Amino acid sequence: MNSIAGLLPVVVFLVVALVIAVFARRQAATDSGGFVSEYFLGNRSLGPFVLAMTTIATYGSVSSFVGGPGQAWVIGWGWVYMATVQVTALFLLYGILGKKMALVSRKLGAVTIIDVIRERYQSNALAAIAAIILVVFFATTMIAQFVGGAKLFEAVTGYSYVMGLAIFGIAVILFTTIGGFRGVAFTDTLCGIAMILGIVVLAGGILSAGGGYENIMDTIAANHPEMMEPLSGGNMPIGLYFTQWLLVGVFTFCLPQSVVRTMSYKDTKSLHRAMVWGTVICGAMMIGVTALGVLSAGVLTGDLKADYGGSVDNIIPTAIVQSLPPWLAGIAIIGPIAASISTVSSLLIASSSAIIKDLWLHHVEAKGERAPEKTVVRSSQVVTLVIGVVVFVLSIVPPDVIWKINMFAFGGLETAFCWVLVCGLFWKRANKTGALLSMGGGTLAYCVAMALGFKIAGLHQITIGITVALVLMIVGSLVTKPTEAKALEAFFPEK
Amino acid sequence: MLTYKQKHEQANREAIATVVGLVVTIVVWIVCGFGLAGLDVQVFHTPIWVVGGTVGTWVCAIIVSAVLARRFFVGFELDDEPSASLEGGADE
Repeated sequence: MNSIAGLLPVVVFLVVALVIAVFARRQAATDSGGFVSEYFLGNRSLGPFVLAMTTIATYGSVSSFVGGPGQAWVIGWGWVYMATVQVTALFLLYGILGKKMALVSRKLGAVTIIDVIRERYQSNALAAIAAIILVVFFATTMIAQFVGGAKLFEAVTGYSYVMGLAIFGIAVILFTTIGGFRGVAFTDTLCGIAMILGIVVLAGGILSAGGGYENIMDTIAANHPEMMEPLSGGNMPIGLYFTQWLLVGVFTFCLPQSVVRTMSYKDTKSLHRAMVWGTVICGAMMIGVTALGVLSAGVLTGDLKADYGGSVDNIIPTAIVQSLPPWLAGIAIIGPIAASISTVSSLLIASSSAIIKDLWLHHVEAKGERAPEKTVVRSSQVVTLVIGVVVFVLSIVPPDVIWKINMFAFGGLETAFCWVLVCGLFWKRANKTGALLSMGGGTLAYCVAMALGFKIAGLHQITIGITVALVLMIVGSLVTKPTEAKALEAFFPEK
Repeated sequence: MLTYKQKHEQANREAIATVVGLVVTIVVWIVCGFGLAGLDVQVFHTPIWVVGGTVGTWVCAIIVSAVLARRFFVGFELDDEPSASLEGGADE
């Protein structure tokens, strides 16, 4: 069925997001921080609520809304227990990197995290590798987001996958191109609110369709008693819990798309408040949405292969369609679509900054020249647009199982950036050789292990990548000369 | 007013406190989840380990962030010293 009622709320939401982006652009025009700082960092003006919401909306993706709950439908409460590790994401990011990145980036006038890495390690090669890794993994994640959002749109509204992709793909590319980082932060806030609204609406639908919470729990306990156990009858091994703690818990504070937000806030008060508010909202969102996957098992009692197309990604769309009337279904899908576009917009602006600021502008300045502002403005917008269009085109033929693609990119980014950032900010002895080996070697080890399906003790390949990256950082730094003290003054001040 | 060096020292202390907060959260997650899994107790037809391991851990994380923000973190100016600009493309 093609449902206008299902389509309308999505269109209204996207129009509001576009209006916000235009408003952000106008507001930016009144600020005097320079185009690059404004477009890629919002002139370090974020207050606590916007900071918390943009971090959560960037972190929470369509995978959190579709793939994760779909897995929870299969596994049970163990998956929700595992998803709970995400409650640490914000306080780790703000607590470990929040102040250091803000201090250093202001001291250096850095606009991107690659600016900070370049200055810390005094290496253009490292900065170039970081920019390339960032763009590649971001593109992978963006494809997963587009695909997830469009699949959901197709399932719920009855319109085609390509039409869904076109509607919100074009909208997100446009409002990111127009609004820059400030526009992304503002629309992320809108998306965060929409995500919460989507969860609440879907929760109402599932509870109503299942005859109430206690009835649903009884149905699950009767049909699948293993879903009530933490190890889910062997479906949730301890090793999976361990690696998920690393992948979506502990090491998420190193994700570059999150770290850049620690350079963008107004003052320390904003950071402190965002940490508490963010932990409240992040927990409600991640635990809430994953729990909906389990509760769906009390409503969708069929067989995955025979009744739901054989993919866990179909569970939440089916739950929306079966438990809500079309107009409410339209509101419910705004949540996952908001999760998708908020992640895409953040990655899009970060990818654009990597190409424009970290590669092109740096190259121009290295030659002793300065690019005219008009050219910078136009190029920034054109590059944002082009990356968006390329990702959009690549998403037209959809890959399967979104959460696996998302996890691959998460692991790659964490491996590449974790020790380079942590050691760069907290270990004076870390140097260029260690950082180059850590980023290059760690990422290579991770990708090879993923490609071959090679695991140690059955653990996810993040354990290989992150360990190799750490060892290479330590060995590489210790066997070569330390960085000159003068170059480290902004990072390890003597006075 | 803190010097730039003192601000970094404070940020280092805050990072260490945050790691301690992480350890506390992990312990609570294990104790309230796996630790309660052996009990045949239910709250609203939900096993107690589910409530403890999810909502309990979430509440713990909120308390950790509030304690960190109010007791361990210190507010200071981030912009009190002139900075060299790395920002390019300013010429008209």
